[in-house]
Amino acid sequence: MPDPAIRASNVTRRYGNRLALDRLSLEVPQGAVFGLLGPNGSGKSTFIALVAAAEAPDSGELEVLGERPARPLLQRIGTVFQENTADPLMRVSEYLRFSGALFKVPRSHLQTRIPELLSRFGLGDRAADPVGQLSGGMRRRLEVARSLLHEPALLLLDEPTTGVDAEERSVLWRALLEGAPRPTVLLATNDLVEADAVCTRVAFLQAGRIVAEGTPAQLKAGLRRESIRIGWTAPEPAQLAQVASWHGVGDVAADDGTVVVTADDASTLIPRLFELAPGAIHSVAITPASLEDAYFQHVRRRSETPAK
Amino acid sequence: MSAAIILARRDLLAVVRSRSQLYSSMLTPLLFLVFLGNGVSKGLEPSNLPAGNFTAYLVAGTVVMTSVFSSTFSSASYYRDRDSGLLRLLLSTPHAPRNLLLGKSLAALAIGTLQALIVLLVAAPFVDFEWQYGTLAGLGIALAAVVLTNLMLTGLAQALASRIQTMQGFHLLMNLALFPLLFFSGAFFPVDDLPAWLQALAYANPLTYAVDGLELATYAANGDGFMGLGIDFVVLGALAAGVYAVGLARVPKVTWSGE
Repeated sequence: MPDPAIRASNVTRRYGNRLALDRLSLEVPQGAVFGLLGPNGSGKSTFIALVAAAEAPDSGELEVLGERPARPLLQRIGTVFQENTADPLMRVSEYLRFSGALFKVPRSHLQTRIPELLSRFGLGDRAADPVGQLSGGMRRRLEVARSLLHEPALLLLDEPTTGVDAEERSVLWRALLEGAPRPTVLLATNDLVEADAVCTRVAFLQAGRIVAEGTPAQLKAGLRRESIRIGWTAPEPAQLAQVASWHGVGDVAADDGTVVVTADDASTLIPRLFELAPGAIHSVAITPASLEDAYFQHVRRRSETPAK
Repeated sequence: MSAAIILARRDLLAVVRSRSQLYSSMLTPLLFLVFLGNGVSKGLEPSNLPAGNFTAYLVAGTVVMTSVFSSTFSSASYYRDRDSGLLRLLLSTPHAPRNLLLGKSLAALAIGTLQALIVLLVAAPFVDFEWQYGTLAGLGIALAAVVLTNLMLTGLAQALASRIQTMQGFHLLMNLALFPLLFFSGAFFPVDDLPAWLQALAYANPLTYAVDGLELATYAANGDGFMGLGIDFVVLGALAAGVYAVGLARVPKVTWSGE
């Protein structure tokens, strides 16, 4: 089995009194699209900054592509920041030539690499345009294309699709994942739907620690299997408590005429709901458990665990 | 290709592309020379100027003023790169941040030197220069003085830009510091007749040595009343090296989140 692309062991990082990473241990396998998921301030960006040698851990061991993170290692790492980094006055191809030169890509190679990447990311006809004239989604695609110029072994994506619509996001991911050889990807994101769709492994971060890790399928396996969204006029607290007490029911949450229930088997539950509140239920929608459900259940479970 | 050269080339291209900045930074000193020089020469009798010609006298000061403006404007590139996010990209490359800063400074140095020399060369045919060391040698000395002056000023701009958070704050400080320095450098009037305390300020002023060197190269008929090229170059060289070292010593602190 090849060495992992990233190996973190008990990594701790503090900013003053604030503990950003708390003895975090993690392995990112080579070739994986590894999602780091967590709320704002959970330590995702801090971990990426350590991997990219922008900061150093206070304690613990961190190995990236078989080495300790240091500036020369960045030659093998591509980075996409949450914000764009292109000078809006530069032309698209000029920006890529400039970036490629900074990563020591030979000019002759850039002559073929740039058109190939622009075409792959749907920007083939925008090469001569100033970056400032591209739409938000196109600029994100340009950033990802730029990060691949020097054919990195590891790609760090820090919330790369923030503010990008679903269609643009899908175009971006398709273009990124179709290339070969594909780098190992470390993705920090808040977007659970995106992570569910593209990640081969996922870790949930909370307060600088990993609270769950595995493939999306593994993380969803331990959950109530279905999420039932019920249009329910004026549910009474006693009725909701009764539903929560039924066998096979997980969470029950009511909000403004809608009740969301997680359960092992919706088919046995629904007739009982109609019996419990005849005439008050006007719609029922069943969806399979998602990574989002897994995330909330794992993160909430940890939040509710009393401190020892 | 080294990172510094890549950066310098990119910054030079950006200035060439920003034509309004390019033209106005050269036109302003030339207009200054034409209107102020002619106006003062006609309205007053500059009898204590060696050549009796205020326009010719002003050229050295105007060249130094061009360098001051150019180095101040060059910092805009630093702030633009920070605000557009490009600085963060630069800091995520395998290059040492100091090399990247050096590249930006080299571009500013090249632009400032070129603009100052253009002002000198455009003015030269229309004023009575003495060229006491000969035209070519005089131009060489002027070029050396301009390079050292720009090196010192871009180093200062670099040092301040990496320490001051906003571009407005930077320009405020540069104007506050550099305008008084310009006034008491001999750029616009001789410092010999000033009160003693102002003369002392003038001799403590680095720009005085830049003006002195340029005047000796172009305008002066002899060395009388001047400090001398040796002193000028020693002072400018030492300050340029010192300020540049300070400017490059501090790598901009850009966090991963871009703050």
